[in-house]
Amino acid sequence: MEFVRRNRILLTAGGLLLISLLLSSVSIRSQPYRDPIGQLLLDALAPFQVVFSWMGRGVGRVWSGYIDVVDARQDNQHLHEQVAALQGELLRLGELERENARLAELLAFRSRLQGVAYGAHVIARDPGPLAMTLTIDRGERDQVRRGMAVLAPQGVVGQIAEASHTAARVVLLTDHNSGIDAIVQRSRARGIVQGGMDGSCYMNYLNRDADVVAGDRVLTSGLDGIFPKGVLIGEVVDVSRRHRGLLQAAVVQPSVALDRLEEVLVVDATAQVVEPPA
Amino acid sequence: MRAAAVIGLVAGFGLLVQTTLFHALPFGFHPSPDVLVVVCVFLGLHRHTVGSALGAFALGYLQDAVSGSPIGLNAFGMVVVYVLVYLTCRRLWVDNLVSKVVLVFLASCVKAVSVLTVSALFGGFDGNWGPTLSSILINAALAAAIAPALFALLAGARVPEGRAAR
Repeated sequence: MEFVRRNRILLTAGGLLLISLLLSSVSIRSQPYRDPIGQLLLDALAPFQVVFSWMGRGVGRVWSGYIDVVDARQDNQHLHEQVAALQGELLRLGELERENARLAELLAFRSRLQGVAYGAHVIARDPGPLAMTLTIDRGERDQVRRGMAVLAPQGVVGQIAEASHTAARVVLLTDHNSGIDAIVQRSRARGIVQGGMDGSCYMNYLNRDADVVAGDRVLTSGLDGIFPKGVLIGEVVDVSRRHRGLLQAAVVQPSVALDRLEEVLVVDATAQVVEPPA
Repeated sequence: MRAAAVIGLVAGFGLLVQTTLFHALPFGFHPSPDVLVVVCVFLGLHRHTVGSALGAFALGYLQDAVSGSPIGLNAFGMVVVYVLVYLTCRRLWVDNLVSKVVLVFLASCVKAVSVLTVSALFGGFDGNWGPTLSSILINAALAAAIAPALFALLAGARVPEGRAAR
Protein backbone atom coordinates (compact mmCIF):
# COMPACT_ATOMS: atom_id res chain seq x y z
CA MET A 1 0.00 0.00 0.00
CA GLU A 2 2.91 2.26 0.78
CA PHE A 3 4.36 1.44 -2.67
CA VAL A 4 1.12 2.51 -4.32
CA ARG A 5 1.00 5.72 -2.28
CA ARG A 6 4.62 6.63 -3.06
CA ASN A 7 4.31 5.84 -6.75
CA ARG A 8 0.74 6.94 -7.32
CA ILE A 9 1.72 9.50 -9.98
CA LEU A 10 3.75 7.02 -11.99
CA LEU A 11 1.07 4.34 -11.60
CA THR A 12 -1.59 6.80 -12.73
CA ALA A 13 0.57 7.81 -15.69
CA GLY A 14 1.10 4.16 -16.57
CA GLY A 15 -2.63 3.59 -16.51
CA LEU A 16 -3.18 6.63 -18.67
CA LEU A 17 -0.57 5.41 -21.14
CA LEU A 18 -2.38 2.11 -21.43
CA ILE A 19 -5.70 3.85 -21.94
CA SER A 20 -4.11 6.09 -24.59
CA LEU A 21 -2.69 3.10 -26.41
CA LEU A 22 -6.04 1.36 -26.30
CA LEU A 23 -7.83 4.45 -27.62
CA SER A 24 -5.22 4.90 -30.34
CA SER A 25 -5.51 1.29 -31.38
CA VAL A 26 -9.27 1.53 -31.63
CA SER A 27 -9.39 4.89 -33.39
CA ILE A 28 -6.61 4.10 -35.90
CA ARG A 29 -7.89 0.64 -36.83
CA SER A 30 -11.55 1.61 -37.03
CA GLN A 31 -11.49 4.90 -38.92
CA PRO A 32 -15.22 5.75 -38.59
CA TYR A 33 -14.75 5.71 -34.81
CA ARG A 34 -16.73 8.56 -33.29
CA ASP A 35 -15.49 9.96 -30.04
CA PRO A 36 -18.43 11.54 -28.16
CA ILE A 37 -16.22 13.56 -25.80
CA GLY A 38 -14.13 14.81 -28.67
CA GLN A 39 -17.25 15.91 -30.52
CA LEU A 40 -18.47 17.81 -27.47
CA LEU A 41 -15.10 19.54 -27.16
CA LEU A 42 -15.13 20.36 -30.83
CA ASP A 43 -18.56 21.96 -30.55
CA ALA A 44 -17.49 23.92 -27.51
CA LEU A 45 -14.34 25.22 -29.13
CA ALA A 46 -15.84 25.97 -32.56
CA PRO A 47 -17.10 29.53 -31.78
CA PHE A 48 -13.74 30.49 -30.29
CA GLN A 49 -11.95 29.01 -33.27
CA VAL A 50 -14.09 31.13 -35.59
CA VAL A 51 -13.08 34.27 -33.70
CA PHE A 52 -9.39 33.32 -33.60
CA SER A 53 -9.39 32.39 -37.29
CA TRP A 54 -10.91 35.76 -38.11
CA MET A 55 -8.22 37.46 -36.01
CA GLY A 56 -5.54 35.37 -37.70
CA ARG A 57 -6.79 36.32 -41.14
CA GLY A 58 -6.85 39.96 -40.06
CA VAL A 59 -3.26 39.76 -38.88
CA GLY A 60 -2.42 38.01 -42.13
CA ARG A 61 -4.05 40.74 -44.21
CA VAL A 62 -2.26 43.49 -42.26
CA TRP A 63 1.04 41.66 -42.64
CA SER A 64 0.47 41.06 -46.37
CA GLY A 65 -0.46 44.71 -46.81
CA TYR A 66 2.70 45.78 -45.02
CA ILE A 67 4.81 43.45 -47.15
CA ASP A 68 3.08 44.77 -50.29
CA VAL A 69 3.83 48.36 -49.26
CA VAL A 70 7.47 47.47 -48.58
CA ASP A 71 7.68 45.68 -51.95
CA ALA A 72 6.01 48.60 -53.72
CA ARG A 73 8.45 51.02 -52.11
CA GLN A 74 11.40 48.90 -53.17
CA ASP A 75 9.97 48.57 -56.69
CA ASN A 76 9.40 52.32 -56.81
CA GLN A 77 12.96 53.06 -55.74
CA HIS A 78 14.30 50.51 -58.20
CA LEU A 79 12.23 52.02 -61.03
CA HIS A 80 13.38 55.54 -60.11
CA GLU A 81 16.99 54.40 -60.30
CA GLN A 82 16.29 52.68 -63.60
CA VAL A 83 14.61 55.80 -65.04
CA ALA A 84 17.54 57.98 -63.93
CA ALA A 85 20.03 55.55 -65.47
CA LEU A 86 18.04 55.39 -68.72
CA GLN A 87 17.74 59.17 -68.87
CA GLY A 88 21.51 59.44 -68.44
CA GLU A 89 22.00 56.85 -71.16
CA LEU A 90 19.57 58.68 -73.44
CA LEU A 91 21.43 61.93 -72.88
CA ARG A 92 24.75 60.25 -73.63
CA LEU A 93 23.38 58.65 -76.80
CA GLY A 94 21.90 61.97 -77.93
CA GLU A 95 25.27 63.64 -77.41
CA LEU A 96 27.02 60.86 -79.29
CA GLU A 97 24.54 61.15 -82.15
CA ARG A 98 25.04 64.90 -82.41
CA GLU A 99 28.82 64.57 -82.19
CA ASN A 100 28.70 61.89 -84.86
CA ALA A 101 26.71 64.19 -87.15
CA ARG A 102 29.14 67.06 -86.57
CA LEU A 103 32.18 64.86 -87.20
CA ALA A 104 30.57 63.44 -90.34
CA GLU A 105 30.02 67.00 -91.56
CA LEU A 106 33.62 67.90 -90.70
CA LEU A 107 34.85 64.83 -92.57
CA ALA A 108 32.78 65.75 -95.61
CA PHE A 109 34.26 69.25 -95.48
CA ARG A 110 37.77 67.77 -95.10
CA SER A 111 37.23 65.76 -98.29
CA ARG A 112 36.55 69.04 -100.15
CA LEU A 113 39.98 70.35 -99.08
CA GLN A 114 43.26 69.48 -100.69
CA GLY A 115 46.34 69.78 -98.49
CA VAL A 116 47.28 69.41 -94.86
CA ALA A 117 44.38 69.62 -92.40
CA TYR A 118 44.06 68.59 -88.76
CA GLY A 119 40.84 68.05 -86.84
CA ALA A 120 40.68 69.61 -83.38
CA HIS A 121 38.27 69.96 -80.46
CA VAL A 122 37.46 73.29 -78.92
CA ILE A 123 38.48 72.99 -75.25
CA ALA A 124 38.05 76.56 -73.98
CA ARG A 125 36.74 80.01 -74.87
CA ASP A 126 37.93 83.44 -73.90
CA PRO A 127 35.61 84.70 -71.21
CA GLY A 128 36.57 88.39 -71.73
CA PRO A 129 34.41 90.79 -73.76
CA LEU A 130 37.27 92.34 -75.72
CA ALA A 131 39.09 89.30 -77.11
CA MET A 132 37.20 86.84 -79.33
CA THR A 133 39.35 83.75 -79.01
CA LEU A 134 39.02 80.06 -78.31
CA THR A 135 41.45 77.29 -77.45
CA ILE A 136 41.82 74.00 -79.32
CA ASP A 137 43.43 70.73 -78.23
CA ARG A 138 46.13 70.71 -80.95
CA GLY A 139 49.54 72.38 -80.67
CA GLU A 140 53.03 72.31 -82.07
CA ARG A 141 53.23 68.64 -81.22
CA ASP A 142 50.55 68.12 -83.90
CA GLN A 143 52.23 70.48 -86.42
CA VAL A 144 49.86 73.31 -85.60
CA ARG A 145 51.67 76.63 -85.95
CA ARG A 146 50.94 80.32 -85.56
CA GLY A 147 49.14 81.81 -88.58
CA MET A 148 47.36 78.64 -89.75
CA ALA A 149 43.73 78.99 -90.80
CA VAL A 150 40.96 77.49 -88.74
CA LEU A 151 37.82 76.37 -90.55
CA ALA A 152 34.53 74.67 -89.85
CA PRO A 153 32.22 72.90 -92.32
CA GLN A 154 30.07 76.07 -92.42
CA GLY A 155 33.02 78.36 -93.16
CA VAL A 156 35.86 80.41 -91.69
CA VAL A 157 36.43 80.38 -87.93
CA GLY A 158 39.66 82.37 -87.52
CA GLN A 159 43.38 81.80 -87.39
CA ILE A 160 45.94 80.45 -84.96
CA ALA A 161 47.36 83.32 -82.91
CA GLU A 162 49.54 81.29 -80.59
CA ALA A 163 50.50 77.62 -80.36
CA SER A 164 51.90 75.81 -77.34
CA HIS A 165 53.10 72.22 -77.30
CA THR A 166 49.65 70.68 -76.84
CA ALA A 167 47.13 73.47 -77.47
CA ALA A 168 46.62 76.56 -79.57
CA ARG A 169 44.71 79.81 -79.28
CA VAL A 170 42.49 80.81 -82.19
CA VAL A 171 41.61 84.43 -82.94
CA LEU A 172 38.06 84.40 -84.29
CA LEU A 173 37.11 86.34 -87.37
CA THR A 174 34.91 88.54 -85.16
CA ASP A 175 37.91 89.67 -83.09
CA HIS A 176 38.99 93.25 -83.76
CA ASN A 177 42.56 92.05 -84.42
CA SER A 178 41.43 89.72 -87.18
CA GLY A 179 41.62 90.55 -90.91
CA ILE A 180 40.77 88.28 -93.82
CA ASP A 181 41.13 89.11 -97.48
CA ALA A 182 37.68 88.47 -98.97
CA ILE A 183 35.55 88.78 -102.09
CA VAL A 184 31.83 89.06 -102.66
CA GLN A 185 30.83 85.87 -104.46
CA ARG A 186 28.29 87.47 -106.82
CA SER A 187 30.13 90.64 -107.92
CA ARG A 188 33.73 89.60 -107.08
CA ALA A 189 34.13 92.93 -105.20
CA ARG A 190 37.15 92.76 -102.89
CA GLY A 191 37.62 93.91 -99.33
CA ILE A 192 38.96 92.97 -95.87
CA VAL A 193 36.69 91.22 -93.37
CA GLN A 194 37.51 92.49 -89.88
CA GLY A 195 36.05 92.09 -86.45
CA GLY A 196 34.59 95.03 -84.61
CA MET A 197 34.91 95.94 -80.94
CA ASP A 198 31.27 95.02 -80.52
CA GLY A 199 31.73 91.41 -81.68
CA SER A 200 30.30 92.10 -85.11
CA CYS A 201 32.07 91.48 -88.42
CA TYR A 202 32.60 94.05 -91.19
CA MET A 203 33.81 93.93 -94.77
CA ASN A 204 35.88 97.08 -95.07
CA TYR A 205 37.83 98.72 -97.87
CA LEU A 206 35.17 98.06 -100.51
CA ASN A 207 35.29 100.49 -103.43
CA ARG A 208 32.51 103.04 -103.29
CA ASP A 209 31.14 101.81 -106.61
CA ALA A 210 31.45 98.11 -105.76
CA ASP A 211 28.25 96.15 -106.24
CA VAL A 212 27.39 94.83 -102.75
CA VAL A 213 23.88 94.23 -101.46
CA ALA A 214 22.40 92.53 -98.46
CA GLY A 215 22.27 88.76 -98.95
CA ASP A 216 25.56 88.56 -100.86
CA ARG A 217 27.84 85.75 -99.80
CA VAL A 218 31.38 86.66 -98.80
CA LEU A 219 34.22 84.21 -99.50
CA THR A 220 37.94 84.11 -98.79
CA SER A 221 40.01 85.42 -101.69
CA GLY A 222 43.07 83.30 -100.90
CA LEU A 223 45.34 86.31 -101.45
CA ASP A 224 46.38 86.68 -97.80
CA GLY A 225 48.35 83.44 -97.92
CA ILE A 226 46.55 82.14 -94.85
CA PHE A 227 43.05 81.04 -95.88
CA PRO A 228 42.38 78.82 -98.87
CA LYS A 229 40.45 80.53 -101.63
CA GLY A 230 36.70 80.12 -101.83
CA VAL A 231 35.82 79.35 -98.20
CA LEU A 232 32.57 80.93 -97.03
CA ILE A 233 32.98 83.71 -94.48
CA GLY A 234 29.41 84.86 -94.13
CA GLU A 235 26.58 86.84 -95.62
CA VAL A 236 26.16 90.59 -96.06
CA VAL A 237 23.33 91.84 -93.88
CA ASP A 238 23.78 95.60 -94.33
CA VAL A 239 25.74 98.02 -96.50
CA SER A 240 26.72 101.52 -95.38
CA ARG A 241 27.67 104.12 -97.99
CA ARG A 242 29.03 107.39 -96.72
CA HIS A 243 28.22 110.66 -98.53
CA ARG A 244 31.87 111.33 -99.09
CA GLY A 245 35.00 109.22 -99.52
CA LEU A 246 36.16 106.48 -101.84
CA LEU A 247 35.13 103.44 -99.79
CA GLN A 248 32.10 101.70 -98.39
CA ALA A 249 31.65 98.96 -95.74
CA ALA A 250 29.28 96.04 -95.28
CA VAL A 251 28.13 94.28 -92.15
CA VAL A 252 28.77 90.54 -92.50
CA GLN A 253 26.99 87.83 -90.53
CA PRO A 254 29.51 84.95 -90.04
CA SER A 255 28.31 81.64 -91.46
CA VAL A 256 29.72 79.74 -88.49
CA ALA A 257 27.92 79.81 -85.15
CA LEU A 258 31.11 80.70 -83.30
CA ASP A 259 29.58 80.48 -79.84
CA ARG A 260 28.48 76.87 -80.37
CA LEU A 261 31.55 75.54 -82.13
CA GLU A 262 32.93 72.21 -80.87
CA GLU A 263 35.12 70.80 -83.66
CA VAL A 264 37.28 72.63 -86.21
CA LEU A 265 39.80 71.94 -88.97
CA VAL A 266 43.24 73.56 -88.88
CA VAL A 267 44.72 73.97 -92.37
CA ASP A 268 48.02 75.36 -93.59
CA ALA A 269 48.63 77.84 -96.39
CA THR A 270 49.00 75.13 -99.05
CA ALA A 271 45.44 73.87 -98.61
CA GLN A 272 42.97 74.46 -101.41
CA VAL A 273 39.26 74.07 -101.72
CA VAL A 274 38.58 71.49 -104.41
CA GLU A 275 34.88 72.13 -104.54
CA PRO A 276 33.82 75.70 -103.68
CA PRO A 277 30.52 76.29 -101.81
CA ALA A 278 27.42 76.17 -103.98
CA MET B 1 -8.49 25.86 -7.85
CA ARG B 2 -6.87 29.08 -9.02
CA ALA B 3 -3.98 27.06 -10.42
CA ALA B 4 -6.34 24.81 -12.37
CA ALA B 5 -8.15 27.84 -13.77
CA VAL B 6 -4.89 29.49 -14.87
CA ILE B 7 -3.64 26.28 -16.49
CA GLY B 8 -7.02 25.70 -18.15
CA LEU B 9 -7.14 29.22 -19.54
CA VAL B 10 -3.59 29.12 -20.86
CA ALA B 11 -4.16 25.67 -22.35
CA GLY B 12 -7.43 26.72 -24.00
CA PHE B 13 -5.93 29.93 -25.32
CA GLY B 14 -2.84 28.07 -26.54
CA LEU B 15 -4.93 25.44 -28.28
CA LEU B 16 -6.97 28.09 -30.10
CA VAL B 17 -3.85 30.00 -31.15
CA GLN B 18 -2.19 26.76 -32.24
CA THR B 19 -5.10 25.63 -34.38
CA THR B 20 -6.11 28.98 -35.89
CA LEU B 21 -3.77 31.95 -35.58
CA PHE B 22 -0.50 30.26 -36.53
CA HIS B 23 -2.05 28.81 -39.69
CA ALA B 24 -3.28 32.20 -40.85
CA LEU B 25 0.12 33.89 -40.61
CA PRO B 26 1.49 34.69 -44.08
CA PHE B 27 5.10 33.65 -43.56
CA GLY B 28 5.21 31.33 -46.55
CA PHE B 29 5.00 28.31 -44.22
CA HIS B 30 2.69 27.33 -41.40
CA PRO B 31 4.52 27.00 -38.11
CA SER B 32 2.66 24.94 -35.57
CA PRO B 33 4.57 25.01 -32.30
CA ASP B 34 3.04 22.69 -29.75
CA VAL B 35 1.75 25.17 -27.19
CA LEU B 36 0.15 22.44 -25.08
CA VAL B 37 3.43 20.58 -24.66
CA VAL B 38 4.80 23.69 -22.89
CA VAL B 39 1.84 23.49 -20.48
CA CYS B 40 2.53 19.77 -20.05
CA VAL B 41 6.21 20.49 -19.25
CA PHE B 42 5.06 23.07 -16.73
CA LEU B 43 2.87 20.43 -15.07
CA GLY B 44 5.75 17.98 -15.00
CA LEU B 45 8.04 20.60 -13.47
CA HIS B 46 5.78 22.22 -10.91
CA ARG B 47 2.66 20.11 -10.29
CA HIS B 48 3.48 16.66 -8.95
CA THR B 49 0.01 15.27 -8.29
CA VAL B 50 -2.25 12.60 -9.74
CA GLY B 51 -4.44 15.44 -10.96
CA SER B 52 -1.61 16.90 -13.02
CA ALA B 53 -0.99 13.49 -14.65
CA LEU B 54 -4.67 13.42 -15.54
CA GLY B 55 -4.30 17.02 -16.73
CA ALA B 56 -1.50 16.02 -19.09
CA PHE B 57 -3.70 13.26 -20.46
CA ALA B 58 -6.57 15.73 -20.86
CA LEU B 59 -4.34 18.17 -22.75
CA GLY B 60 -3.45 15.43 -25.23
CA TYR B 61 -7.02 14.30 -25.49
CA LEU B 62 -8.12 17.86 -26.16
CA GLN B 63 -5.50 18.17 -28.88
CA ASP B 64 -6.68 14.93 -30.46
CA ALA B 65 -10.28 16.12 -30.41
CA VAL B 66 -9.45 19.42 -32.06
CA SER B 67 -6.73 18.34 -34.47
CA GLY B 68 -8.64 15.46 -36.03
CA SER B 69 -5.89 12.94 -35.37
CA PRO B 70 -6.87 9.51 -33.99
CA ILE B 71 -8.00 9.78 -30.40
CA GLY B 72 -5.33 8.76 -27.90
CA LEU B 73 -2.20 9.59 -29.92
CA ASN B 74 -1.49 13.03 -28.49
CA ALA B 75 -2.83 11.88 -25.10
CA PHE B 76 -0.16 9.17 -25.12
CA GLY B 77 2.52 11.66 -26.13
CA MET B 78 1.54 14.13 -23.43
CA VAL B 79 1.60 11.50 -20.69
CA VAL B 80 5.04 10.33 -21.88
CA VAL B 81 6.29 13.93 -21.73
CA TYR B 82 4.78 14.45 -18.31
CA VAL B 83 6.39 11.29 -16.91
CA LEU B 84 9.81 12.09 -18.39
CA VAL B 85 9.78 15.68 -17.12
CA TYR B 86 8.53 14.52 -13.72
CA LEU B 87 11.32 11.93 -13.44
CA THR B 88 13.91 14.42 -14.74
CA CYS B 89 13.11 17.13 -12.23
CA ARG B 90 13.11 14.63 -9.41
CA ARG B 91 16.79 13.95 -10.17
CA LEU B 92 17.98 17.25 -11.71
CA TRP B 93 17.55 20.83 -10.58
CA VAL B 94 15.60 22.40 -13.41
CA ASP B 95 14.60 25.89 -12.39
CA ASN B 96 16.34 28.37 -14.62
CA LEU B 97 14.92 29.66 -17.87
CA VAL B 98 17.57 28.22 -20.19
CA SER B 99 17.20 24.68 -18.85
CA LYS B 100 13.40 24.98 -19.10
CA VAL B 101 13.64 26.12 -22.71
CA VAL B 102 15.95 23.20 -23.53
CA LEU B 103 13.55 20.87 -21.71
CA VAL B 104 10.61 22.17 -23.80
CA PHE B 105 12.61 21.62 -26.99
CA LEU B 106 13.43 18.03 -25.99
CA ALA B 107 9.89 17.41 -24.73
CA SER B 108 8.40 18.59 -28.02
CA CYS B 109 10.72 16.23 -29.92
CA VAL B 110 9.94 13.32 -27.56
CA LYS B 111 6.21 13.88 -27.85
CA ALA B 112 6.29 14.02 -31.65
CA VAL B 113 8.45 10.90 -31.86
CA SER B 114 6.26 8.95 -29.42
CA VAL B 115 3.08 9.98 -31.30
CA LEU B 116 4.58 8.86 -34.59
CA THR B 117 5.88 5.65 -33.07
CA VAL B 118 2.43 4.70 -31.74
CA SER B 119 0.91 5.73 -35.03
CA ALA B 120 3.41 3.53 -36.89
CA LEU B 121 2.72 0.70 -34.46
CA PHE B 122 -0.95 0.68 -35.40
CA GLY B 123 -0.35 1.35 -39.09
CA GLY B 124 -1.24 5.02 -39.15
CA PHE B 125 2.21 6.28 -40.22
CA ASP B 126 4.14 5.13 -43.29
CA GLY B 127 7.55 5.54 -41.62
CA ASN B 128 8.84 8.36 -43.86
CA TRP B 129 10.94 10.02 -41.15
CA GLY B 130 13.06 12.30 -43.40
CA PRO B 131 10.75 15.27 -44.01
CA THR B 132 8.90 14.60 -40.74
CA LEU B 133 12.10 14.98 -38.71
CA SER B 134 12.87 18.49 -40.01
CA SER B 135 9.28 19.53 -39.29
CA ILE B 136 9.57 18.11 -35.76
CA LEU B 137 12.79 20.03 -35.10
CA ILE B 138 11.40 23.33 -36.47
CA ASN B 139 8.22 23.07 -34.40
CA ALA B 140 10.22 22.06 -31.32
CA ALA B 141 12.43 25.12 -31.76
CA LEU B 142 9.34 27.33 -32.10
CA ALA B 143 7.80 25.77 -28.98
CA ALA B 144 11.06 26.46 -27.12
CA ALA B 145 10.96 30.06 -28.37
CA ILE B 146 7.47 30.73 -27.03
CA ALA B 147 8.09 28.78 -23.80
CA PRO B 148 9.40 31.73 -21.69
CA ALA B 149 6.25 33.76 -22.41
CA LEU B 150 3.97 30.81 -21.55
CA PHE B 151 5.91 30.02 -18.38
CA ALA B 152 5.46 33.65 -17.35
CA LEU B 153 1.69 33.32 -17.90
CA LEU B 154 1.62 30.06 -15.94
CA ALA B 155 3.69 31.47 -13.05
CA GLY B 156 0.47 32.06 -11.11
CA ALA B 157 -0.18 28.32 -11.09
CA ARG B 158 3.11 27.38 -9.47
CA VAL B 159 3.10 25.60 -6.10
CA PRO B 160 4.85 27.77 -3.47
CA GLU B 161 8.36 26.51 -2.66
CA GLY B 162 7.47 25.60 0.93
CA ARG B 163 4.58 23.35 -0.07
CA ALA B 164 6.56 21.76 -2.86
CA ALA B 165 9.28 20.75 -0.40
CA ARG B 166 6.74 18.90 1.73
